[in-house]
Amino acid sequence: MNDEYEVVIGLETHAELSTESKIYCSCKNKFGIEVNTEVCPICMALPGTLPTLNERVVDYAIKMGHALNCKINRVCKQDRKNYFYPDLPKAYQISQSDIPLCENGYVDILVNGESKRIGITRIHIEEDAGKLLHATSFEGSSLVDLNRCGVPLIEIVSEPDMRSSAEAKAYLETLKSILSYLDICDCKMQEGSIRCDVNVSVHKKGTPFGTRTEMKNVNSFSAAVRGIEYEQKRQIAALEAGETVVQETRRWDDAQGISVSMRTKEDAHDYRYFPEPDLLTISVDEKRVEELKAQIPELPTQKILRYVQKLGLPQQDATIIAENVDLANFFDECTQKGGASPKIAANWLLGDISKYLNETGKTLGETKLTPEKMTELIGYIEKNTISTASGKKIFEIIVAEDKPIKQLIDDMGLAQVSDTSELEALADKVLAENEPSVTSYKNGKTNALGYLVGQCMKASKGKANPGMMKEIILKKLGE
Amino acid sequence: MELYEMTAAQLSEKLESKEISSCELTQAVIDRINSVDGKVKAYLTVNAEEAIEQAKAVDNKRISGEKLPKLAGIPIGIKDNISTKGIKTTCASKMLENYVPPFDATVIEKIKASDMVLLGKLNMDEFAMGSSTENSYFNVTHNPFDLDKVPGGSSGGSAAAVSAREAIVALGSDTGGSIRQPSANCGVVGLKPTYGSVSRYGLVAFASSLDQIGPIGKSVKDVAMVQDIICGRDKMDATSAVREYTSIADSLTGDVSGVKIGIPNEYFGEAIDDDVKTAVMNAVHELEKAGAKVCEISLPSAKYALPAYYIISSAEASSNLARFDGVRYGYRAKDYTDLVDMYEKTRSEGFGSEVKRRIMLGTFVLSSGYYDAYYKQAKLMQRKIAGEYKAAFNEVDVIATPTAPFTACKIGQNIDDPLKMYACDICTVTVNIAGLPAVSLPCGMDRSNMPVGLQLIGDSFCEDKILGAAYAYEKLIGGFAAPTL
Amino acid sequence: MDIDIRHIAKLSRLKISDDEFAKFENEMKGIVDMVNTLPQLGEDLAIDENNVMQLRQDIAETGKFTRDELFQNAPQVKAGCLVVPKTVE
Repeated sequence: MNDEYEVVIGLETHAELSTESKIYCSCKNKFGIEVNTEVCPICMALPGTLPTLNERVVDYAIKMGHALNCKINRVCKQDRKNYFYPDLPKAYQISQSDIPLCENGYVDILVNGESKRIGITRIHIEEDAGKLLHATSFEGSSLVDLNRCGVPLIEIVSEPDMRSSAEAKAYLETLKSILSYLDICDCKMQEGSIRCDVNVSVHKKGTPFGTRTEMKNVNSFSAAVRGIEYEQKRQIAALEAGETVVQETRRWDDAQGISVSMRTKEDAHDYRYFPEPDLLTISVDEKRVEELKAQIPELPTQKILRYVQKLGLPQQDATIIAENVDLANFFDECTQKGGASPKIAANWLLGDISKYLNETGKTLGETKLTPEKMTELIGYIEKNTISTASGKKIFEIIVAEDKPIKQLIDDMGLAQVSDTSELEALADKVLAENEPSVTSYKNGKTNALGYLVGQCMKASKGKANPGMMKEIILKKLGE
Repeated sequence: MELYEMTAAQLSEKLESKEISSCELTQAVIDRINSVDGKVKAYLTVNAEEAIEQAKAVDNKRISGEKLPKLAGIPIGIKDNISTKGIKTTCASKMLENYVPPFDATVIEKIKASDMVLLGKLNMDEFAMGSSTENSYFNVTHNPFDLDKVPGGSSGGSAAAVSAREAIVALGSDTGGSIRQPSANCGVVGLKPTYGSVSRYGLVAFASSLDQIGPIGKSVKDVAMVQDIICGRDKMDATSAVREYTSIADSLTGDVSGVKIGIPNEYFGEAIDDDVKTAVMNAVHELEKAGAKVCEISLPSAKYALPAYYIISSAEASSNLARFDGVRYGYRAKDYTDLVDMYEKTRSEGFGSEVKRRIMLGTFVLSSGYYDAYYKQAKLMQRKIAGEYKAAFNEVDVIATPTAPFTACKIGQNIDDPLKMYACDICTVTVNIAGLPAVSLPCGMDRSNMPVGLQLIGDSFCEDKILGAAYAYEKLIGGFAAPTL
Repeated sequence: MDIDIRHIAKLSRLKISDDEFAKFENEMKGIVDMVNTLPQLGEDLAIDENNVMQLRQDIAETGKFTRDELFQNAPQVKAGCLVVPKTVE
């Protein structure tokens, strides 16, 4: 990017909340069922139906508010956002306008080791819309599936505090991990459970902010990065060509990697917000607000700091573990309860365990591996009961099947020989059989040592404790 | 005296004592409909066969010795904007000409649970917007006291049906006077309950913050008995009040001694016809003679209720009626070029002109740049007016006013003048704006021998006080006149 | 005061034919003049703290209505979906 320019990015992130029922009716809130089967008179807006607000939606939004250090407006209301579209049965979306449930917060993100604070303008609750299905076979028509109508959403609006696509990505990753830590969103990107609108503007450094465009239809974090980079290039090119950037809504086409103006849809955009008369004031008592605060677990950024400062993990390892709630909990169990060495536990998590998960596509929970077993295995290796190589052999088994480790070591005969007399006998035998090497060592060919130790290991079928074996050989050669 | 001429209270005793059966009664009312509805045109749908079936079922329960609710077996008519499972609910609009709800409104569930017999669906102004029932897409309803005159509106069909003895009782809905004004015009009793006391679930919304379903009957007792059935907290309606209700019907004694009645001079200005003023004041004096204390009070902001009402109700209506877009149910235009064209043609062809006017007004007062000047100011005025009423009810128990500034107009008289039509509501809208209960009851006739309505307004959830005073008046004058058809 | 009837009609998704336009505009003017008699009472409309609602428990209920029951009034249905004129986006 032309470095006279600076890009300014703000994000509006929509997260679907993982409640049992929808936000304004009792329909099941679930993904991937047959079209129009999770629908009722209320969410399809039959005449005379009325909304009733799901209390868990309010709880979840307040939790997110606490996690993002927001002020909680425990007395607030809902408003109607009016516009016509076939995926919006009432022709208005019940949302929040002037008084959001949460506002004025912040979140700290880490971008290549640097911590940066991003302001959170507001978090409000609202309902999702249905889906329109398009296909050439539909001959000039589109089909409407209302299953998603009324799925609860929180919209998290950031301040325009990001200055690069990398920061935007880090911000989104952080939000995602917080949502999964709070267990209020299943965070399945491919199912659209987190979506965002991206506001981008560019300006020459040291000059006021430029005109911003809003980009919709950004359905993955990588798409957000691509979209931002495309949009900043497009705007800089426009300014360089002496044109001006038009304030408008644009649609990101990820397939073609371009953003296109939606001005056509703009013309009649006057949402006529007004207080939802079918719902009264929302009032959450202070006690409840505090209870919800108490339920907030240690969040990724705090974990990363603890891992780095208290446990001495490298920043990068700490981040990878902390941003995945499963890995983090597994790691904490091993190191706190099990008392395993943090560095070794981290190596296993980022090494063999991650490798296995990637290959099998499983989550930690879906494996047979438990923190207890992992701690036990690490223990045997640290006590030299088995070699690291043998440890990996055993891992391959216990990750897939529930078998006692001790028994595996015996059955597979993986226990290392660390008994001195046994090792000395072995050494005498090997030295006797390798006179030439012994001689050449004594003539200063020190590399013969490695050969001799190797022969011992071979003779012991790998069971000899390599460290002890080497000492004994040295001792005997010195005699 | 014919069965259809009797009150629900009288009939419930005859049914209870098995002197008559619900079948006989229901058949009598259906015969009455067949003989006079050709002139009155109150019904859009008559549910004859199902009604008789229902009546039979109730009779069987009674014969088998089951203890039945007070109004079991009594036929009731329903305004056509209240959802009835399996029975067309048209809101008297082309938009919903063939719409059949797959569910019952909460009030209908209650009516069915109390074993009342569902006679059919009653005419109204389209989507309850109007004061004459001339805005019905299907037909005009005629006033049983003078067939050349309107029955008032929007619940004109409900009021006319009860007045013409085509239903023992009926349900209407009231957003700005739509139960009380037609009740006044047709010489029957109509109650607009406190906002939140009757569930709105299943009532096709006009203005959510003002709409209330309420009963219309030939007597105050009947209205009280039906209100006892339909009131109550409903989990399906977030705006329904969380409280317990005691029977109003059982509280009616006929004694008004010591009841303080306030007379607000703002409701007796030059806009009010002299005959109406006289009839209303005569009724008040009757009550005074019976021991009520009468005093003048002032509600200075009442004159602003009409503009505030038209802003709030139209704003909400513009949004509530946006769902009629030809996608999920209702009318869809035939030829269209694209989505927007389909929307515009469907809505322009499906809605009548009064509905379009209100949608336009509502869209305008909410549109960017006007919200603060209109909607917000109207809501502020609403609170001011509610405050003035609260203060008044520290002084008095009941406020007495005319229900309507004049009696029923000739059919076609105001149809081309929206503002004249809106003026019919000046006495009633304030009550909806303040969310209060009010009853309209007949209090004599004007020079052209048309019924005049007395409106008694009470404090929130004080239905018992206004119906108590109304009941006393009814006893004093020995009942209300019926039309001759 | 004059209001942009065409714009308001567009927002309302209503078509007003040219021949009915004059009459309509006239009526709207009259109505707007009537509501203009409302005095301006001030700026902030505080939230009504005394008018609080009860929230619904998060319990899912299903199978109360079949798709056919719900779509029995639909103008056009195809493959279990509502049909509308082609929309882009």
